[in-house]
Amino acid sequence: MHIPDGYLGPITCGVAYAAMVPAWIIASRRVKKTLAARQVPLLAIGAAFSFVIMMFNVPIPGGTTGHAVGAVLVAILLGPWAACIAVSVALVIQALLFGDGGITALGANCFNMAFVLPVTGYFVYRLISGNSPVKSFRRVVAAGIAGYAGLVIASVCAGLEFGIQPLLHHTASGQALYCPYGIKVAVVSMVGGHLLFGFVELAVTSLVVKFLQVQDPTLLGHNREAAS
Amino acid sequence: MSGKTSGGFLERTIQGAVSLLQETVSVENVAARNGFLQHRDPRFKCLSAAALLIAVLMSRNLAELSVLYAAVLCMALLSAIGLFFFLKRTLLFVPVFSLFIVVPAIFSGVTPGEPLASFKVLLWNLTITRQGVDSAIVFFMRVLDSVSFAVLLVLTTRQHVLLKTLRVFRVPQLFVMTMGMTYRYIFLFLDIIQKMLIAIKSRVGFVASTRDGRKIVTANMAGLWLRSYRLHSQVYDAMVARGFSGEAFVLDEFHARVPDVVILLAALMALIGTLWLNLFFR
Repeated sequence: MHIPDGYLGPITCGVAYAAMVPAWIIASRRVKKTLAARQVPLLAIGAAFSFVIMMFNVPIPGGTTGHAVGAVLVAILLGPWAACIAVSVALVIQALLFGDGGITALGANCFNMAFVLPVTGYFVYRLISGNSPVKSFRRVVAAGIAGYAGLVIASVCAGLEFGIQPLLHHTASGQALYCPYGIKVAVVSMVGGHLLFGFVELAVTSLVVKFLQVQDPTLLGHNREAAS
Repeated sequence: MSGKTSGGFLERTIQGAVSLLQETVSVENVAARNGFLQHRDPRFKCLSAAALLIAVLMSRNLAELSVLYAAVLCMALLSAIGLFFFLKRTLLFVPVFSLFIVVPAIFSGVTPGEPLASFKVLLWNLTITRQGVDSAIVFFMRVLDSVSFAVLLVLTTRQHVLLKTLRVFRVPQLFVMTMGMTYRYIFLFLDIIQKMLIAIKSRVGFVASTRDGRKIVTANMAGLWLRSYRLHSQVYDAMVARGFSGEAFVLDEFHARVPDVVILLAALMALIGTLWLNLFFR
């Protein structure tokens, strides 16, 4: 899902940055409106949480491990717009301070992982959980499905971004200049991988929500206004 | 504990946290060295890096990308960064991973064109094409150049200075302030994770079933959130006690010198040259 520099051409990079600017502006306004000044450190906590959540190795069948992205989890905990800022900040830190991930592809990475993933995931979570009580099992199921669905939808976006490169940028002799695979190959491989390993996201999102229902259910109910 | 065992996930997470901490310390050490780029004004350095990254993005042939790669290696050497250290830091992972990804593109099935070599593997006749090989080399070099320029910027600029530079470029205060705090929280969280997992390891040992392992990991994630959530109001109180009123102030001033302007002009010339070559002579 994390797109490095050099995979996407200038048009895609530019369009992705342009698409993220209004998303960041809306997110900043929503967050300023809904988060009290006292809660400003919460955004940083959310960003750091989404950064380190990727470092947890989660055991998967077959003896190997995978990791979750955690963007939908942050959206459930802080609201989708706060999650958009938090995950964007985590991605910028990863790219600028740790030298991982692309700088020219940062707009595309933020679009996929900080916008599409938490916003669609949160929508699915709200749709399934409805008005069920905070401690209900329905919310655990909703969180798991939301994490999985958000990840798969974001992988479709990433696949499309890869897949349009040979159409947008090639030489006169047909030589691809950036990602060389067409839409069919790129989307199938991206979505296939995430359909298969997306259950790590499903397990992590649902189990963390289940754990918080027991330990401190107020944490799952405080961001309702931020979400709407 | 029942089910199939999947040992090592605790160790891998602890190792990941330790590696990140070690890497950060080594990057800070390099950034503190007495090198050419370390002494440059970060505003000019960031603008130069951006211009060069765009030049890499716009390049369409191997010659241009090779010249840019030679330039990044020279700058690394001038900045007291060992060649082996720099190559290890830049070549491993992303470029090598990209090389594996691009291998199928050298065959006629993905990139049709002039055949270079044909051979049979089991039931398939495979043909390597010149266009496919050219495409793969340009793709690999572009990824390598991009990673190298980004890593060079990170290695020669201290993290807090880089964050301060973002504020100079009018990046909204909410983002810059959040980034600064996030950067500190990451290390706090890494410390908490390490301690939590070592505590678990010392109590349950090395082996857990996949299912139990997932429970342990997710309980730790939730525990991390609980602990940090309870911390945020204390952090805000501490910020207010130190005079925070909603605006973060930059204490250090940046001073531009002649070499800063020269390096920016050189980067802009490289960008203009690349645009000129690729837009008017393709």
